[in-house]
Amino acid sequence: MTNSHPATPKFLRRAVAAGVLLSCLFLAGGCKTSDDATAAASQLAATAKTLTNYYSALDTILGQTDQLNAVQVVLYGIPYDAPIKAEIADTRAEIQKRAAIAKGLTELAQNFAKLTGSTASTDASASAGKLETEVESLKLTKGKMSSDEQALMKAAVDLVVKAIQERKEREAAQGISKFAKALAGFFTKEAPDYESIARDYSAISSSLAKSLLQNGQTDPSGFFKVALDPYGLEPQITDPKLKNGIEMLAEQQVDLKAKALDEAHKNASDDMEKCLKQMADRIDLVANDKPMEVRTVPVTLANVEKWAEPFITKSLSSASSRSAPKAPAKTK
Amino acid sequence: MQTALAELETTYFTLQSQIGMLLSACKTQEDRDALTAKYVAARSAYWSCVNKAFHDDDPDVIALTTELDTANAQLKAAVQQLGEIKSVIDRITKAVTIGASLAAKVIAA
Repeated sequence: MTNSHPATPKFLRRAVAAGVLLSCLFLAGGCKTSDDATAAASQLAATAKTLTNYYSALDTILGQTDQLNAVQVVLYGIPYDAPIKAEIADTRAEIQKRAAIAKGLTELAQNFAKLTGSTASTDASASAGKLETEVESLKLTKGKMSSDEQALMKAAVDLVVKAIQERKEREAAQGISKFAKALAGFFTKEAPDYESIARDYSAISSSLAKSLLQNGQTDPSGFFKVALDPYGLEPQITDPKLKNGIEMLAEQQVDLKAKALDEAHKNASDDMEKCLKQMADRIDLVANDKPMEVRTVPVTLANVEKWAEPFITKSLSSASSRSAPKAPAKTK
Repeated sequence: MQTALAELETTYFTLQSQIGMLLSACKTQEDRDALTAKYVAARSAYWSCVNKAFHDDDPDVIALTTELDTANAQLKAAVQQLGEIKSVIDRITKAVTIGASLAAKVIAA
């Protein structure tokens, strides 16, 4: 997901030009709107950061889907051949590109928000150049629907860079507004795909969990802990009838949990969509020199973070040392 | 989502949700192989379409989506009732075959 930029004259020119990129937000409407512009930039940074986390969580889900398919080879003897593995890997690469765009936008908005410092403009220019490259890196695999939004995002970044070169601050701010709108549209059109990817994960994992339960390959004694824990007792279930009974209960819980996973992702996806639209509207106000009175980030951002966090934690823990203690599961 | 992907997802997820039970119901290795092959085809069609555009305006795709919708309804009923495994595999074959045609159309569009 990293991007390097050779110090070509074109890149340097764009980088210097983009150095004042976010100052456009501050300057677009004169001093009276600078507070609004600062607030909008900070809120955009927070929203883009949550979008990065959303995509990182989807990336983890795809990684686990890959592993689940490998488990099915062992459990069912279902082949997991290279072509299908490549399809999943390719989808994962596309999701990572979207995460990189969201991260690029986060950095850009963060640097915009602190443009008063002498080095901040250099940071902002680097962020703008990086974002441009990341938008260009998107494959047109999603057909005309998403490619329209990609074209809009690319045009918006081009507009911002050109406007800064020509010192047209208002146009640059409007370019950022267009980018935010296109990004929101891009997300909306792809959201059904994201939801399907999340459903695949819960479908395979629940199917495997139930198969293992039905074949007596799990230890369901944990279900009794609720009764035994208060008294410091450990379950030691030996009665087959009792085991069967608790396995049926466990199967029901697997179904309920799978449904809850699907619903949680659908809600997170809907909330992310709302946040992006809200931010696009707010940036639009600033770009058009209208007052933007809201001083808090979109309220539903927290819901998206809550959904994404366990997956990101899982990803981090698997990337770190195997001996590290497992993070406890998050509860709502 | 009323797209081709939704129908391919239905075929694949219906099989996925019952794959353990379906495989257990197979009496011969031939049945197991047939079922496994259909599952792999359904999964492949689904993932190919996740990676591609969904051209809802293509009349061929719309017609195949409707056809697959009908086949999926029959498949769901067959899997739930889990009668004679050979007739269940026939239903699966029908849905997966239409799904493969649909995936090919979507990818080519």
